[in-house]
Amino acid sequence: MTIITPDIKPAAVPGSGRVLFAYLKRDRLALAAAIFLAIVVIAAVLGPWLVGDAASRLGLRQRNLAPFSLASGWIYVLGADTLGRPILARLIVGAQNTFGIAAAAVFASMLVGGTLGLIAGYSERWYSHLILRLADVVMSFPSLLLALIVLYTLGPSITNLVIVLAVTRMPIYLRTARAEVLELRERMFVSAARAMGAKPARIIIRHIAPLVLPTLVTISAIDFATVILSESALSFLGLGIQPPDFTWGAMVANGRGYLATAWWIAFWPGLAIMLTTLSLNILSNWARTLADPQQRWRLQTLRKAAR
Amino acid sequence: MNRSLHTIAAVVLMTAAAPSAVAQEAAQEIRIVLPEQPANLEPCGTIITNVGQILSQNVVESLTVIDPNSGQPQPKLATEWTSVDPTTWRIKLREGVKFQDGTELNADAVVFSINRMISGKLTCSNIAKFGDAKLTLTPVDKLTVEIKSDRPEPIMPTLLSVVMIVSPKTPVDQAVNDPVGTGPFTLSTFSPRTVVLDAFDGYWGNKPQITKATYVWRPESSIRAAMVETGEADLTPSIAIQDASNPETDFAYLNSETTAIRIDAAEPPLDDLRVRKALNLAIDWEGLAQLFGDDVKRASQMVVSGINGHDDALEPWPYDPEEAKKLIEEARAAGVAVDTEIKLIGRNGIYPNGAEAMEAMMTMWQDAGLNVKLTMLDVADWLRYLQKPFPAERGPNLLQMMHDNNKGDAAFTVPIFYRSSGSYSTLADPAFDKQIDEALAATGEARTNSFKAIFGKARNEVVADIPMFHMIGYTRVGTRLEWKPDITTNSEIPLANIAIKD
Amino acid sequence: MISYLGRRASHSILSVIGLLTLVFFLTRLTGDPSALYLPLDSTAEARAAFARLNGLDQPIHWQFLGYLRDLLQLDFGESLRQNRSAMQVALEAFPETLKLAVVAITLSTALAILVGSLAAARPGSIFDRIASLVSLVGASAPDFWVAIVGILIFAVGLGLLPTSGTGSWAHWIMPTFVLMLRPFGLLVQVVRGTMLSALASPYIKTARAKGLPRQKIIFGHALRNSLLPVVTVAGDLATSLVNGAVVVESIFGWPGIGKLMIDSIIQRDFAVVQSTILVTATAIFILNIAIDLLYAVLDPRIRY
Repeated sequence: MTIITPDIKPAAVPGSGRVLFAYLKRDRLALAAAIFLAIVVIAAVLGPWLVGDAASRLGLRQRNLAPFSLASGWIYVLGADTLGRPILARLIVGAQNTFGIAAAAVFASMLVGGTLGLIAGYSERWYSHLILRLADVVMSFPSLLLALIVLYTLGPSITNLVIVLAVTRMPIYLRTARAEVLELRERMFVSAARAMGAKPARIIIRHIAPLVLPTLVTISAIDFATVILSESALSFLGLGIQPPDFTWGAMVANGRGYLATAWWIAFWPGLAIMLTTLSLNILSNWARTLADPQQRWRLQTLRKAAR
Repeated sequence: MNRSLHTIAAVVLMTAAAPSAVAQEAAQEIRIVLPEQPANLEPCGTIITNVGQILSQNVVESLTVIDPNSGQPQPKLATEWTSVDPTTWRIKLREGVKFQDGTELNADAVVFSINRMISGKLTCSNIAKFGDAKLTLTPVDKLTVEIKSDRPEPIMPTLLSVVMIVSPKTPVDQAVNDPVGTGPFTLSTFSPRTVVLDAFDGYWGNKPQITKATYVWRPESSIRAAMVETGEADLTPSIAIQDASNPETDFAYLNSETTAIRIDAAEPPLDDLRVRKALNLAIDWEGLAQLFGDDVKRASQMVVSGINGHDDALEPWPYDPEEAKKLIEEARAAGVAVDTEIKLIGRNGIYPNGAEAMEAMMTMWQDAGLNVKLTMLDVADWLRYLQKPFPAERGPNLLQMMHDNNKGDAAFTVPIFYRSSGSYSTLADPAFDKQIDEALAATGEARTNSFKAIFGKARNEVVADIPMFHMIGYTRVGTRLEWKPDITTNSEIPLANIAIKD
Repeated sequence: MISYLGRRASHSILSVIGLLTLVFFLTRLTGDPSALYLPLDSTAEARAAFARLNGLDQPIHWQFLGYLRDLLQLDFGESLRQNRSAMQVALEAFPETLKLAVVAITLSTALAILVGSLAAARPGSIFDRIASLVSLVGASAPDFWVAIVGILIFAVGLGLLPTSGTGSWAHWIMPTFVLMLRPFGLLVQVVRGTMLSALASPYIKTARAKGLPRQKIIFGHALRNSLLPVVTVAGDLATSLVNGAVVVESIFGWPGIGKLMIDSIIQRDFAVVQSTILVTATAIFILNIAIDLLYAVLDPRIRY
């Protein structure tokens, strides 16, 4: 079933890891973004082990504790929320949910969208047209509203949230995959395989999919930031993740009522979302520049150009 | 917040956004900012907060009104009422009252209004207060109406406070957005942005000081509070506790709402009395109260004081985690499956800080050794658990709820919650049913005492709920107004009671 | 041209009908709205009466056929909540969103063209790098958070702007700014990218060799040829602007169609949900055709 073969390197990135790092060092902004993301990912992975149960322990007598005070311990440095739980600990635990949901949604939409795109591109049967029309319907309508309606029907839960986010992002993978297949299926090696009597499923999986995959992976990296933003917006509107689970978006929603009295409850998680998506965008921009032979010189001669 | 900063804010906002504030003062106009846009202005829906706060006693008036202190019905459009026999009441109407369209108020108009409510041709929320009683109306003479019901209705005068009398020219089979009543104000504008009421010159009672009232709506409490602070508005009926920071403008009032958790006593392990008691004992009530402010009152029963049947002597459950753990261990030893997962079902937006309260209670119960898991639902899904028929595989569950009885009598509470036929009830005890039926049929002192006994039994022997708090509402009232909120504020804001300081 | 428009319209109408069907069944699956419209203590009888009154007691496929029949007669149903025609409710809210969206997309496009061109004129300069960073921030910022932080700073803290609502020009500033953020961020990058490749093309080199003034080259020659992709992206952004409008309108209490849509979904006001979707989808469809026509104007080689 798996179409991910290990021997494929993303075609967009030239050279080995060391060369890559050398390029990264030249662009200080991209380096900062990479470091920030690394810290956030490490926190998300090791976080729950680091902070223990601090994120859910009640401190009703420390409600809305102001930030920048170490009196109650370093964990309270960003303040406490409406139930007196340290915001820093909740940011760390929330990162896990935020990233987990986004990663699951991106992976699901890449897998399903890519598969449908392969089918729609290779076959010209009625279902290919149906797939394309459905993608049109999803594309032609604001994704947030579609998500709202579907979440209202299915009820908000993590699984449904992942499904909805995946569905709204799917057309992008579908269309890209289809466009690539349309071009690839006319190539010599596909015709050769067909002439040798290979079944369509085999041609798609063995010959076409491996060539489409790198493009889809590149798109998914860029899409990750968009999905984080969509998930936050849904959780902010109250239709995403439900208590006692939480993501950064839900934390902002939680602090919305306390803007005038305890700004920090909504401020920090929002800042975390922004810095994360910003870092992702900076890095993908950097990667795009790197991948474009006409643009790569900018990174190589950055010092000169900056003058 | 910095005071001088706010003064600057006020000045800037007055010049930028509310240039007419000065002019308003001269013309005795006020602006009220509500939390929610009224969906419609059908007078049959005045028990819905955002409709009632605009229409009740301003545009349309009821036959009786409830006195906020005693809970007793007082005359309004009806001046007297007598019980002819247990199922028949005779109502005498006020003389010389005219509707805003010039029609005269008489027995026929009252019969028309009530028939319109019970016709079933339009959605009428207010009629729900009558339960499934069947009413028959007869005009006796020009100003006397007889109301017959198919069963004894000892609190008919109280029920008449939800009967809004509308002009006989109102369509019978269609909800309206331009109600015509007998009140001191007429509705002049209703748009998606604003409602405007203007004084009605032909009003039968005292002329109110206010000549014009404009209603707008903003969902955010902090924004509403800021609007009153800066003079963009004069009054907002409900702000969150954290925004009620200025003792000069912010008034707390005991509203008629009681928050609670219902224990599904039909589902094991919650069918065990020890577990139900432990649930009550495991909550750090003082800590939890922090979420709702210093003024909330810990509840021991589902109605507030002032409601006929409330027992002042009833003690709320204390916080005793040791006892709670002991009871759970006893139950476990007796073979009760105390480790079963118990669903705690909350409702989004049920009251301010409601979700936080559920998270906190879940954690406290987990600390006591119970396997409680929180699920937050939206209204419609939550309702499936609240009302019968309950979902088939509901499993052991605890349900967040809030009960609002501002109608003066425990009859609006007890049968729904505790009688086996009650739509929220998980109980099935014929003896308790019988006790409830007797209380509902009783009058006077006996009625009060029977209801007290029922609340006592519910608290001490049945323990099918966890009463939390009698809630407090906060209003912010601009400094140029003379007005104080009371227990009725959640259902009406009579403009006639608001005075403008000079 | 005519045949193109016909084909385009039939595709779009099919999409809209598909969408309406999808939403019809999805919303009906959300459960009985009577629970939301009747008081909690209503009797079962009252609920049954409510369902009968609003045709909700029929099997769902009959409801759907009834809906289609009414649709053909341009009857879009009654709002459960507001006791009036659902289409009237939707059409009242739509212009409010349109005004906001037009202002936001116009301002952000104009600003993005200016900033993007200037950045592309001197790639690698300080201005270019700042512009790039600002545009990335714009594209990355969660709009709901920017909105509430904006209220916190400018309305609650400094008192410079009204918190929310409509009325004076001051009410426009924050909603427009928040709505502009993402389109601006994305467009700056598009403009910069296309301008860079345009400036590297032979005809610009020729123009430069002829000694034409720099400004004329950038804004006269290069820009005109870079506008096509900008128009495409701006058109796509218009669809996602509705996403932003839902958030912005619900935070700033702007009485537009985004807020109406989310309110009516939450209130299960089915007829209004359907009408708002019909109105929005139609608007997007007209916009897409307008963009195609704009292509033809911008690029004389394109003929339909």
